[in-house]
Amino acid sequence: MAISPDLISGALSFLFTILILSYVIGDNPLFRVAVYMFVGVTSGYVASVVIWQVLVPRLITPLIPAVLSNSPMQWGMIAAPLLGSIFVFAKISQRLSGLARFSMAYLVGVGAAVTVAGALIGTLIPQVQATIEFFDPQIAAARNITTAEVIGNGAVILLGVVTSLAYFHFGARSKPDGSMRRLPPIEILAWIGRIFIGITLGAVFAGVYAAALTALIERLSSLINFIGLFS
Amino acid sequence: MADILQCPNCKTENPIGSKVCKNCQTPLAPANKITGGFIKPGQTPTKKHTADLEPILPQWLRDARNAARGSDSPNSMELPQPQEEKDKPSAPPPAEDLLSGLQSSQTADEEEEEYIPDWLVNLTGKSPTTPHEASSEPITNRRVEMGNTADFPHIKEEPTEEPETPSWLAGLQSPATEPEKDELTEWFRSASEAEQPHHTVEPKIENPVSTPQPDESPDWLRQMAMDAEQTEDAQTGISQAESEFPADAPDWLRNLGSAIEVTPSSGLNPFNLTEPAPAESEALASSTETPEWLKNESQKQDTTPKWLQDEGASSEAGTPAWLANETPVQRPPEPDSQPLSDDIFTELPGWLKAAAPESSIFNQPAKEPEASPEPQQDSQDWLKAFQLTPEATQEPENIPAFSTDFHSDENVNSLFTEMPDWLSNAMEPGSGISPSTSPAEDALAPSDLPSWVQAMRPVDTSKVVEEKPNPTPNKDLPLESRGALAGLHGVLPAMPGFTPTSKPKSYSIKLNASKEQMAHAEILEQVLAAETSPDSIETLSTYKASRALRWFVAFIVFVFVAIPVFLRTQIFSAPVGVPNETRDAISVVQAIPESSALLVAFDYEPSRAGELEASAAPVFDQLLLLKHPRLTFISTNEIGSSLAERFISGPLAGHNYQSGATYLNLGYLSGGQLGIRAFAQNPANVAPVDINSQSAWTSAPLQGVTALNQFAAVILITDNADSARAWIEQTEITRKDTPILVISSAQSTPMIQPYYASGQVDGILSGLYGGAIFEQYNAGRPGTARMYWDAYSIGMFIAVLLVLFGGLWNLALGLRDRQPAGKRKN
Repeated sequence: MAISPDLISGALSFLFTILILSYVIGDNPLFRVAVYMFVGVTSGYVASVVIWQVLVPRLITPLIPAVLSNSPMQWGMIAAPLLGSIFVFAKISQRLSGLARFSMAYLVGVGAAVTVAGALIGTLIPQVQATIEFFDPQIAAARNITTAEVIGNGAVILLGVVTSLAYFHFGARSKPDGSMRRLPPIEILAWIGRIFIGITLGAVFAGVYAAALTALIERLSSLINFIGLFS
Repeated sequence: MADILQCPNCKTENPIGSKVCKNCQTPLAPANKITGGFIKPGQTPTKKHTADLEPILPQWLRDARNAARGSDSPNSMELPQPQEEKDKPSAPPPAEDLLSGLQSSQTADEEEEEYIPDWLVNLTGKSPTTPHEASSEPITNRRVEMGNTADFPHIKEEPTEEPETPSWLAGLQSPATEPEKDELTEWFRSASEAEQPHHTVEPKIENPVSTPQPDESPDWLRQMAMDAEQTEDAQTGISQAESEFPADAPDWLRNLGSAIEVTPSSGLNPFNLTEPAPAESEALASSTETPEWLKNESQKQDTTPKWLQDEGASSEAGTPAWLANETPVQRPPEPDSQPLSDDIFTELPGWLKAAAPESSIFNQPAKEPEASPEPQQDSQDWLKAFQLTPEATQEPENIPAFSTDFHSDENVNSLFTEMPDWLSNAMEPGSGISPSTSPAEDALAPSDLPSWVQAMRPVDTSKVVEEKPNPTPNKDLPLESRGALAGLHGVLPAMPGFTPTSKPKSYSIKLNASKEQMAHAEILEQVLAAETSPDSIETLSTYKASRALRWFVAFIVFVFVAIPVFLRTQIFSAPVGVPNETRDAISVVQAIPESSALLVAFDYEPSRAGELEASAAPVFDQLLLLKHPRLTFISTNEIGSSLAERFISGPLAGHNYQSGATYLNLGYLSGGQLGIRAFAQNPANVAPVDINSQSAWTSAPLQGVTALNQFAAVILITDNADSARAWIEQTEITRKDTPILVISSAQSTPMIQPYYASGQVDGILSGLYGGAIFEQYNAGRPGTARMYWDAYSIGMFIAVLLVLFGGLWNLALGLRDRQPAGKRKN
């Protein structure tokens, strides 16, 4: 009887599911085996993906034509990433790990620039603008939001934003008795911001639980379906 | 203090620079000479005359000396020092004279001549000098002193012409000579009536004993002179020099002249005097005032002590017994002098013998008189008078410089009648302590060493030392039998009560600490141990309870979730409330044109595949069913491409989408935010090929698409808020009006919500809830969300119950704990 790949995959899925669920009773060797298997397989798959989807098509494949082209421009174009990759690979050796500084410095610098620019343009400014627009009646009307709702929503959002930011303000002054306390307005805003932060963290926790529950349901369904194949 | 000089004698203050005291004419030494600085290592000590050192003597010694001087009676033999002597230069002390401190007192005037006694003058035939003024000093208290400046009227660095005459020879001079503090000089002078003109004698050694006044000669000295006269005629073998003695010279002196052999080389001869002139010899010989001790001795010349008789039986009459047994020391011939007879030595006054060490005189056994060696040419002529007969005299081996004090005639007699024990022991064979012979490397054999030297040698501790009578005077004291001082008597112990042991005392290595100290140390150890020791769990019951509770909760959840799944129940109704973000998402999906290119980013983990596939499946099912879009899959994580393949071949398998035809998988987009930005700016250059290494941008799914804004929509499927933020931020500018739809997991939706509120995201489908809602708009297709909805609902309900129950339980426990604290406070 030919064993279909679906059966094999199903069986392995069932097996590893059971192994992972064994963590309920505590850390045990079965769980460790499953974890190690996942780590190993994932590492191998990632390595193959990097080699075949990054290095070969974007470094090696363009190298041959560039060398054969006898063009200094193409040589320069291919030499930069080639040297950069070689320098990064030099981190394997302790003696030559210093060469990786150049590539890492370039990557860190460019990455920081992109990240800062994106955060500024993509998050900070739009978020501030959005907070302000909450009090714009025209925009609210375009969204079919009443004025009271706008004001209420805006107020709540504004209060939440301000108080949450005030909670993370740690500038304080020393008192005559030696204790360190923030200013009273800051203390009040921080106390309110603590409430909003708590609510936010609760919502996050609920979402995590929901996601995990959904994953459990899916796994249990898979197990039941696999068992049902044999019934 | 520095401007005056105090006279050491009369304490008179004299100005600085005075050389003699203005009161008593005592020579004053410079201040710096007396109280000079200490000698530093390497420096040559400066020569100092002992007379100059009197000021530094202790006060008690000075007082004693002054008292002694002051008690001198007018009849003392101290000769007055006329004023004339002050101007006369004095003879300088010999450079290497050991008895420099024995010089007679002289004036400090350098120009004064050294006083020469009359008797010496008679002997030497030189002109006598006037005696200097000196403080009288009783003869009985006279001792051999060193550095008594007050007794010595002159101590000069510059050589003087006439050295001071010994005191015992002072009496031999004429009375006209300047009397010194020598006591004998007085009687010598008185004895010599017919004094010859004083001749300056140049004694090399200065007698510390002051010359007595002529009238102050002791009785014993006079008696001696008388005896000497009596026996003068009986004396035979008097040499020619004897005729040089004055008429009043005592017999003993005449006898001495023949016996004494003065040799300049002998260091024991304190009277290294020049030979007196014949005239002086006569003056000395003519002295009638012989001391008694000398008379007695002359009478007893025949009564030699027993110990000397035996020894001297084989010796000549003039050979001392102690000297006869000693090995004769080779000496250069002395042509002028003749050895002294032992009789002469026995008749020496006690004060003269006292100046010499006992051992040097009496240890030496009597020897057979040997032929007197040729006297030295430079012997003193005046001593020839003392030589009796050449054959009767024998050169002594060692002429002592000092002798024991002479107390009385009886004591003198006892010295020669009773043989001391130490000497008897030394004479007896094998008597006394027999010191171990020195190693063969020693220069002298034991037999060559005198007995007194042998007695002082340390005893060999490796040998048994016989405790025999110690001939030393300290024989009564305990004998030291250990250590380097073994064999000696009178060794001081190390400390009172000290009991030396052969082995060093063993000390215990155990720490001697009190109880309090041990307690403190223990506390310190506990403190140090507490720093590294882990905190122990208070009770195990709590740990066990948490495990049981965990198991219980897990069991409940498993059971209540598995039952609906297994039973495929649909008890719970589908969600009714549609959030705004879900409504907008539905609107976006419905607004996508047909056969448009859609960019789908799969940026979630495989663990969230169940939730997100359940959420995304209704959307793509509706799109594929109604809009037939060209899908382009891309991912910023390495697993995303496989998840895309799984998604298109699983829930969407019924739509029969083919890779390269209807959908294209660009694979992994490396670089994170940099890759997204690069792809957003130039997608064809960043991802030129698909996962099959086929050219992507020329394929059908990407037909007519060269930029990001040419896609109809961007659908982001993610479980991570950061990934969503990255896509939103990096494509904000290039995306322009291209809508972006986010299908997110329930855990990341709160983080992505602000982006929807800001208008950066067009719609959000949050987890299974959003999928379930979308399925209602998709005619219930595929139905995965609805199938999971009952189990999802029960699970959420159980979670709510557990959180509520747990909160109430903790509240009750907290209230219970607060009550005891409040009661304790009350």
